[in-house]
Amino acid sequence: MPTDQLSVTFAALADPTRRAILARLAEGEATVTELAEPFSVTLPAISRHLKVLEHAGLIVRNRAAQFRPSALRPEPLADATDWMETCRATWEARIDRLDAHLKEIQRGPKNA
Amino acid sequence: MPDSTPLQTAAQQVVIDRIFDAPRELVFRAWTDPDQVAKWFGPEGFDIPRDSVVIELRVGGRFELRMVSSQMGFDSRLEYEILELVEPELLVLRHAPKPELGIPDATLTRVELHDENGKTRMVLTDGPYLESGHAATGWSQAFEKLAGLVSTGTSG
Repeated sequence: MPTDQLSVTFAALADPTRRAILARLAEGEATVTELAEPFSVTLPAISRHLKVLEHAGLIVRNRAAQFRPSALRPEPLADATDWMETCRATWEARIDRLDAHLKEIQRGPKNA
Repeated sequence: MPDSTPLQTAAQQVVIDRIFDAPRELVFRAWTDPDQVAKWFGPEGFDIPRDSVVIELRVGGRFELRMVSSQMGFDSRLEYEILELVEPELLVLRHAPKPELGIPDATLTRVELHDENGKTRMVLTDGPYLESGHAATGWSQAFEKLAGLVSTGTSG
C-alpha cells in the first residue's frame, strides 16, 4: 500500500471546498465555470483546488475537450477507505479470537 | 453473539467497544500472559509463534511478537512499548512507525477494561493511521463524505 499516495489523498480531502467539488463531480463531469458557480470563490481559486485534486489523482481533466471538463476518479478514495477498513478488520478478527479464547479457558478445566 | 461496535472507522482511529462474558482479571491476563497472547493475538489465518512473544510487564517494558501467515507469505514483527499499565484495568502500548506496513506515524493502542457486573467491557482504540502533519484538520468530515462519494462515484 503506497502510504504516500494515501497521505496525498487525505491532504487533498482536508478542505471543504475540495470535498464539495468532488461531491459535485460524483454527479458527472463539469467545467471550471460550472464548478465555481455554487461557491463564492474565484475561478483561479477553483483552478488551484482542481490542481490539488488532479495531483492527488482524485480527478482527471479532459485536455482535448473544450473547457477541459473535470471528472471524478474514485479509485484513491476507495484505497483510503479500504486501508482504514483493513486496520479495523484486523482488530475485529483479533478480538473475535480473544472472545473465543476467554470462553474456552472458562469452559475448560480451571488451569488457565 | 458478542456485541461489537466500530465507533469511528471513519477517522484515523480504530475504536472497538466490546463486552466479554468474563471477569476483567481474566481479560487482563489474556492480554498480558505470553502463552495466552500467542493463542489469540493473530487474526484468523495468522499465527503468533509462542517463542516470539516477549512481554515485560512494567511501564517501559517490551511487548513484542511476530505475526505470521504462511498462506499470505506475511511475516512481521510487532514491537510495542508498554506506556501505561494499571492492573486489571488499563494497558497502553506504543508502536514505532512502520512505513513498510503503511503506518507512517507512531501508533498507540489503548485497552481499557471496565467491570460491568462481572462481565468486562473493553474499549480499544488504536491509531492514528494516516496522520498527516499538515492536514490534521478536517479528517472526520472528509471521511463522512467518503463513503457516499465512493458509492456514487463508482456507479457513474
